[in-house]
Order: sequence, then structure tokens, then C-alpha cells
Amino acid sequence: MAQNHGLRILIATVRVPFVYGGAEVLAEGLCRALIEAGHRAEIVAIPFKWYPPERILDQMLACRLLDLSETVGVAVDRLIGLKFPAYLIPHPRKVIWMVHQHRQAYDLWQHPLNDLDRYANGADVRAAIQRADTELIAQAQGVFTISRNVALRMNRFCGLHATPLYHPPQMAGLFHTRAAEDFLYFPSRINPLKRQDLVLEALAQTRLPVKVYFSGPADEPAFERTCVALAQKKGCADRVQWLGPVSEEKKRDLYARSLGVLFPPIDEDYGYITLEAMLAHKPVITCTDSGGPLEFVVHHETGIVAEPTAEALAAAMDSLWEDWERARGWGDAGRQRYEDLNIDWNNVVEKLLQ
Amino acid sequence: MKILIATSCVPFIRGGAEILADSLRDALRAAGHEAELAAIPFKHYPPERIPDHMLACRLLDLTETCGVRIDRVIGLKFPAYLIPHPNKVIWLLHQHRTAYELWDHPRAGDLIHYANGPVIREAIHQADRELIPEAKAVYTLSQNVSGRLRRCSGIGSEPLYNPPAHAGLFYNRPAGDYLFFPSRITAVKRQWLAIQALAHCRERVRVRFAGGADSPMQQAECDNAVRELKLGDRVEWLGVVSEEQKRDLYANSLAVIFPPVDEDYGYITLEAMLSSKPVIACSDSGGPLEFIVDRKTGLVASPTPESLAQAMDALWVDRRCAAAMGEAGRARYEDLNISWKNVVEKLLC
Amino acid sequence: MLKINWFSPLPPARSGIAHFTMQVLPLLAKRREVALWTDQDQVSPEVQRIARVTRYTPDDPPWRKINDGAISIYHLGNQPDLHGGIWQVSVRQPGIVVLHDLCLHDFFFMLWIHYKKDRVSYLAALERWYGEEGRQAGQAFCAGGIGAESMAQRFPLTREAVQGALGVITHSRGALEALGEAPGCPVAALDFPYAAAAESRYREWMAARSAAPRPPYRLVVFGYLSRNRRLGAVLDALAGFNAREQFRLEICGQLWDEANTRTQIERLGLSSLVKLRGFLPEPLVEQKLSTADLAINLRYPSMGEASLSQLQFWDYGLPTLVTRTGWYASLPEDATAFVRPEHEVEDIQSHLRAFLADPGAFRAMGERGRQSLEHNDPEKYVDAMTQFAAMALRRSPLVTALALAGRVGNDLSAWLHPAASAYLLDRASQEIVTIWPGKPRGYP
Repeated sequence: MAQNHGLRILIATVRVPFVYGGAEVLAEGLCRALIEAGHRAEIVAIPFKWYPPERILDQMLACRLLDLSETVGVAVDRLIGLKFPAYLIPHPRKVIWMVHQHRQAYDLWQHPLNDLDRYANGADVRAAIQRADTELIAQAQGVFTISRNVALRMNRFCGLHATPLYHPPQMAGLFHTRAAEDFLYFPSRINPLKRQDLVLEALAQTRLPVKVYFSGPADEPAFERTCVALAQKKGCADRVQWLGPVSEEKKRDLYARSLGVLFPPIDEDYGYITLEAMLAHKPVITCTDSGGPLEFVVHHETGIVAEPTAEALAAAMDSLWEDWERARGWGDAGRQRYEDLNIDWNNVVEKLLQ
Repeated sequence: MKILIATSCVPFIRGGAEILADSLRDALRAAGHEAELAAIPFKHYPPERIPDHMLACRLLDLTETCGVRIDRVIGLKFPAYLIPHPNKVIWLLHQHRTAYELWDHPRAGDLIHYANGPVIREAIHQADRELIPEAKAVYTLSQNVSGRLRRCSGIGSEPLYNPPAHAGLFYNRPAGDYLFFPSRITAVKRQWLAIQALAHCRERVRVRFAGGADSPMQQAECDNAVRELKLGDRVEWLGVVSEEQKRDLYANSLAVIFPPVDEDYGYITLEAMLSSKPVIACSDSGGPLEFIVDRKTGLVASPTPESLAQAMDALWVDRRCAAAMGEAGRARYEDLNISWKNVVEKLLC
Repeated sequence: MLKINWFSPLPPARSGIAHFTMQVLPLLAKRREVALWTDQDQVSPEVQRIARVTRYTPDDPPWRKINDGAISIYHLGNQPDLHGGIWQVSVRQPGIVVLHDLCLHDFFFMLWIHYKKDRVSYLAALERWYGEEGRQAGQAFCAGGIGAESMAQRFPLTREAVQGALGVITHSRGALEALGEAPGCPVAALDFPYAAAAESRYREWMAARSAAPRPPYRLVVFGYLSRNRRLGAVLDALAGFNAREQFRLEICGQLWDEANTRTQIERLGLSSLVKLRGFLPEPLVEQKLSTADLAINLRYPSMGEASLSQLQFWDYGLPTLVTRTGWYASLPEDATAFVRPEHEVEDIQSHLRAFLADPGAFRAMGERGRQSLEHNDPEKYVDAMTQFAAMALRRSPLVTALALAGRVGNDLSAWLHPAASAYLLDRASQEIVTIWPGKPRGYP
């Protein structure tokens, strides 16, 4: 491909109206990074509604009908596709930086939280999504993912090869560290996939008086209520604080003051929280089935990787609580690992545009 | 309410329509609603790309998000206003012009240059006729746009005026010794007509032009005309000015001169009225004529240098009349209830 | 005011279609603004007096100017040097195609093989419409293994010429269908335009005819006389007819095989009754036709086209023998004397007998033929043509819809899983039809 300076780049993603989350943050981060690198970049966000399943097919076709090759007679030098089905938009110089495929057709098929398989035509639509991905992703000039976890899934389900390309969390430069205080921090959206409930089960079983602060909005109010009730029932409610949604500044402060960070989600795509913890020089407790975080947490070097059971997590929390020195050492090692991994927007831009 | 504004966009281009969409979103939010833009990319060439994008829009589903209903969709531009929704309202800025009034325009004509241009044009006409009426209500930017919609597509609609940006910041000062012509320098705005008119003026009328040229050629044409007619001391080119400078230029002018051809709307007319200044336009200027009342809030001349010169002279010699007309213009603006509150009310009722 | 772009051969091109154009154009130009388009080197001044003529290059037509017209009318026939450019433009911009020849195999063969040296396109077209059989026949034809007539009959390739048209005009009812080449768009069969001579002139001819001494009765055959004009059968019929001395036969026109014909005349002992006149200049044609009693206008096999010469015979009030096939079969029973293809000699003789028994009846037949020419009034033709064009223009969104469906289908074939194709193809089609319904609702 031609010279890598002053290019016109479009970032193709989808948007669920009135929902603003990690994917939007990523797209904006990428856009800013491209502009800072001297290019012209804009985000093209196609509205997406995935139910009933046939709507997915409609929107796949809609994306195929869009023409982003040029604007007003001037070429669009690159199209960077982030999410399904926007990364199906045709373009002669397309690079995919996959946030994730449509997981409901892949690793989440027949998961209790899936809805695609509850429809009569769910299997047909799943087959169509898989076929489209397999045929069309390969047409891109470069295929990257945000993590090895996503790349492994793509390989497993579609036989496609992709290169993981890490990027920094928002405001990476603003994370700082302080002397640890007596709490573990779990700063994630309250959501069954993040498993706040498992942490509470574990907390009930710790030997030591471990304390946990939860912050973040509840994706489903019902689940949050369940967790609060669970803490009461298990008798550890006095060692738990529910901080709700907090400002970014407050969040960074909580990271800085924590003893360590808890983040044991199920099969997370990537996991900004892991990186935020590392940036704040804090060890991370995660689980063997947590996905993304495992690419960053090194067991007994930068944190603990425990089995996804209450007992194992309780042991991990105790282990951190009983040796604050060691915890601090692991936290510093985590920060060093972050640096070593070259998790940096310049690197992302360079790789995506090569 | 949860409201989506469906509009078409050309990546890397930001113009009046984009500003309007943003302003509408802000106004809806100010009124307590949740509002977002759904901006669908649109490439209109070669002509067969147009039906592709029309179909793409028809395949989108904006009825709900995560199980929650989207109460209303407001469609602004082609082909985004084709996106189906049970509760859709169209606020038409304009149809796809090169299939309508700009079909054979010497500079802007586009479809007409292609083998399949006529067939695509016919396809656009039919789609508009079939699908615009799907909306619960059809509003337009101005009577001018409504007129075209009626003539070309047989569809009735109601003009719905919106305020210029920063409407509250315009002000009035005692009139100075110049007419103000604020606009992009381009053929359809007809700076050249104002220049030729100057040559016919009896009085020593001066005109200050503000705005960037669409192309160096446009500016050069104007400069040549000024030179040939020896009007160098009567004309000033200010180029692109800041918003504050622009408001100041309005405020201190004697009158505003704005004689475009078939303008859709014309924020300039409204800005002049907000600044309590009379407006000189032409009988074929389109949008501005919906606001100017001839000899009450301004002067409507024939689109000839002589007639325009007469209007310019008339205000130059009678400053009191000019000031009175300006006041009347300001009052008329108030009477027209041109406000975002009104827009929001209409679009959501 | 529907402005019309007209693409056809123009004088001085030697083409019946150029002549046809000169008949029709002045009337059309009275009703509509007409722009004439040509890739000929020369156009007669008389044409410029009727409408503005603009030259174009088929490889790069001036769309901007062409698009000032509302619709284009393309006249197609078998001569590639006259119609090649026209066809090229018609492919790129749909319009009304007027088929002056119903079978266009020769056109495409000459155009692709001789002019463009492009065998691939020729064979691809045959395959497109006639499958593997067509392709193989084309290959055999190129190698010289199949006769041209056979190719043309089996693979007319008419659909290749009209596939994208907004509408098709023919001059022969049901002919395209009979050929199996009916296109998807509307087809109008219009009566071939023919301006009959003034009554006064006709009466002069009638006078001339009556003045000539009878018997012997005068039979005429006219035109380019190839094998399908059935001369052999005519001569056989005459030779075997007892009362043949009552007739004289004049063969006027270019003979496909003059030597053979002369031999046959000799052999049959018809030398005193049959004369070969060759190609006649116009004044002599008039003389011959105005004094003839019966025209013989047989054609077999026929490609189905209308016959200008038949209309000309009727102009002169001449009763005519025609073969009951193709366009001729549609002629009014009471104005025509039909001959069955499998019983040519028998039927010809039967008509000759009937003629001798009652020449007045045949004269009346000729009169009725002349009266039927009112259907061929060029004014009617122009009215029908413009009405059809206006209707076809309203259908033009369907062209867009079909093209879009094609593009969608193409893209989907690359990635759509069969399990989902029924749904998505239907969905896309439904939506396309919603945007452009088959029957446009109202038209302001």
C-alpha cells in the first residue's frame, strides 16, 4: 500500500441507538489516534438491531450495499472495520480490527443468556453469519483483533487467522498509584457475565476480613438486587460497598488506593479493567476461564489466576490480603509488563495502516 | 421520548445540513428528550449507487433499541428519510436535487451526464412519490421546498422554519455607510449581479462582501468585474470572517443585500432581520422572499442590474426609511415564531 | 413536451429504414421536439430541414446532450454498418427499440465476427439465450458447417437486442412470440406506416389499367428475388395451367439466380409468356404497377416481417397472391389471395382459374386492399408510437429495480448461506417492489 501520511480513513462500526459502551470508546480512541498521527479520520456507525434474527440478515445486506470507496471524487484510503456487520462493508483497502464477531452465533450459541437460538430461524441465521464471516473477512487486506482471545475464537469457528493488536484504555496516562488501603476493587458494570455474584460467594468464604468495593452502573437492575441480597444472605454485607456509577477521576482514585483488583468475568473479549489495574500498579485476581485478562495477568507474578469457584477465589483473595508487600511487588511487575507489551496507540495506527 | 434523527452524510463533509441536524438534536435534548443522530453514509455516483443506498436504508430497523421502543424517527435527507418507521416524520431539507431542480443546471447538473441518468432520475421520482407519504407528517425547510415537493411529487407539506445559529447573539447598531453581502462566493448567490448593479447606482453606494469563494475561479470572476467596472473603491472583500465579526458587520450595516437565485431557505435573510436591518433581494431569489415584505421590511428588485441599483440607491438616500424597515423586519421575525421550541413541538406532535 | 431522441439510418443511406424515417419523421416533428442522432459520415440536407441532426461516436456518446431528450427511439435492422452504432447506444441507455427485422442473427454475426473480430461475444450471446446447443451451433457456423439461413431461423438472437429496452415496437402482430424471442418489456405491434397515394393519382392508375387491352392479363413479381420468393413454383404453376396464354408474367427486380431462372423458363416453354425486366427505375415501376392486373408476392419461409411491397401493391389497388405465413397470414381475408406453402402450384393455379372466371372479383379485392391502407396511415403510426413511448417511459423505474436486484443477487451469491437465501432474496425483492411498484401510483 502507498505512503502512510495524511490518509483519509473511515472507521466502520455499528451503533445500538442510545447505548454507549466500550466499542464506542474504542472507536473514538482510534479516531483520535489516527488524527494525532496526521491523518483525516471519521467514524461511520450503522444502526444495528439484532432481533428478530432475520433483521441481522437485512443489515448484513444493507452494509454490503454501502459504498465507502470515495467521497466527492477523492479516494477513502482505508476502511477499518471494527464490528459485525459493519466490517462487511466492501472496500478495496479494508483492514479489520475485530472487537468481536457476533458472539451469539459462535461461542455464546446455546449459552443461557443467548437469544438467537430461541428463535425458529436462529440456526439458519447463525449459519448465514458464519458463512458470511468466513467468505468476506478473508477479503480484507489485513485482519487484526483486539485480543488473542478474539483471534482464537475466529480461528476456532471460521478457520481464519488474525493478529491480536492491543490498545490502551481511555486516559491511560492519568492512572496513578498510591499506598494500598484495605479493600479490593471490582470496577465493572454489574452484569452476570462479570460475575459479581461469584465474588460475593467467595468473599463469604475468606479466612481474612477481606473487603470489596464494587463500582459501576447496573446493566440489569434485577441482577444488582440479586447481588445485594446475596451479600446479606451470606453475611458479608458489612465487608462490601456498592459505589454505583462513579466519575472517571474517582475510579482512578479507587484503583490507586486499592490493595488489588478483582476481575473474574466469563470469556471477556479484552478487558480494559486488567490494563487499568496494571497502569495503576495493582495486582489482578482473575479466573482461568476469564478470556482476555489471561493475556495480561501472569500467575504469581502480576496477580493470581484462580479456578472459577468460590473456594479458589476466596483462597486467592486471602492470599493477596495476607501479604501486602508481595501484592505491591506484583502490582509493579504488572506495570512493567504493560510497558513491555507496547500497548500504545502509535503501535495500533502503524499496524493497521501498514 | 427516544428520538432518532435519520440523515444522510458524506464522510469528511460538514455543511449546513449537518449543523441543522446537530442543532435539532440539541433542541430535542433541551426539551427533555433523548435524541441521537443516525447518519447513514451516502455516495451518489455513479448513478446506480443511488438505488443501492436507497435499498440499504430500507433494510435498516430503527423501531427499537434493546427492547425499548424508539418513539419517533425524524428524516431529514435523501435517502435516509426512506428508512421505515411506524412513527416517522420528515423534515425535508431538500430532495435529491440533481434529479429535480438541478437536473440540467450548467454547473451543478450531475445525473444528466450519465447514460443511466434519466432512468435513475425517474426511479428517484417514483420512490419519493411512493415513500415520502409513509411519514405521519411531512414538513420542509421552506415554502420554496414545499412548492417543489408539490410540483414534482404531488405531495403536500408544511414549511417549518428554524432559526439561524446563535440567533440570540445578533444585535443592532446605528447604520454605517455600507451594504453587507455575507455569503459563499458562488454563481448561484450572484455576487456578480450586485457588482453590476453598483455600476448603475446613482449614489456612491458601497458594498462589503464576506465569505469564502467556492473556487478561486469564482473569486477571480468577481475581481475582474470590479476591475472592469472601476468599482475598486466601492467594494471590499473581507473573505471568511469569524461569527463575531459577521454579527458586527450585520449590526453596523445600512442594509443587507442578498439576491441569490432560487435559494432553498436563506439564513442570511433571518440574520439580517435579527439584526434589525432591511434586506434587498430579487424576485427570483426563492427562500428570502418568504420573509421579506417588499417596501416594509426590505426591497424586492427584478433580477437586473438596473432594478437592483434602484433598490440600493433608495435605501442609501433614505436612512430613516432603512432603519424603519429594519425594525419592521425584526418585528416580523418575532411574529413568525421561528424558534427551536416551535420546531420541536411540531415535529413531535 | 416529450422530446424524442431518434436513432436510425438517414438518407443518403441505402436502407428501407431511412426511407421509413423520412415518411414518419415530419409527422413526428409536428407533435414533438425531435433530435436526430447519427454516426453516418453524410446526411442529406433534406433531413436537416425536418429536425436537428447531431453526430455521435458510438464508443463515447454525448450523454449530456442526449439526456436533454426524454426518451430514445432506436431503429434496429440487419445491417451492422447502419445499425451497429445505434445498438451500442441502446445497450447503454434503455429506450424504445423498433425492430425492422425480427431476426437479428445476421446483424450480430456480422457485427461481432466481421466488424469487431470478437468471436467470444458472439458465442456468449448464443449461449446466453440458447444454452450449450446455441454455442456449439455458433462454433459450427463459424467453421462453415451450418447454413446461414438455418442459423438465423434457429437462433434469431432478437432478445439480445431488446433485453434492456423499455419497450419494443414491431410491425407484425405476434411475430416475436412466434419466434420465441418475446422480451420482458411491453411489445407493441403497429401497422407499418404507409402514405397511400392521393385519390386523384389512384384514379389515374385505374384509368391506365382499364385502358390496357385485356386479355392477356398482366402478372407481376417485384423486388429482390431470392429463393424464398418461390419463383420456381410460380413458373411451374403457369406452365401447368391450361389457359396460360391468357396471362403474361413480368419479373421485375434483381434475380438471385438469373441463369437458373432463364433455363427454367426455356425448359417449361414459357419464353413467350415470361419476361425478365431486371431492376426498374421509379417511373417504370409506376407504369408497370398501374397497368398490372395481379401481383404475385409469395414468401416462404418468412421471418415474419411486414412487407412494404405488399402495401405498395395495395396502393395501386392490385390484388395479390401471398403465402399464408408470418405477417402475410394476418392480412385481411377479403383483400388477399392466399397460397398454402405445401400446395403452392395447386393454389396458384386455382387462383388463376378464379381470376379468369371473374376478374371483377379480383379487382374488388385490390380495392379493398387499398382501403385497408387507412390502418397504415402514418399519422396513426406516429400517434401510436408516441403513446407507447410515453407509457414505456413510465415503466422505466422497473429497469432500475431489475438492475438493483441483479446487483444484490450477484453480491449475495458470494456470501449468503443457502439456509438463509430464501428469506433474504424474498426480503430484498419485497423491498425493491415496495420502492418501485409495478404499477406506478398516479403521475403528476
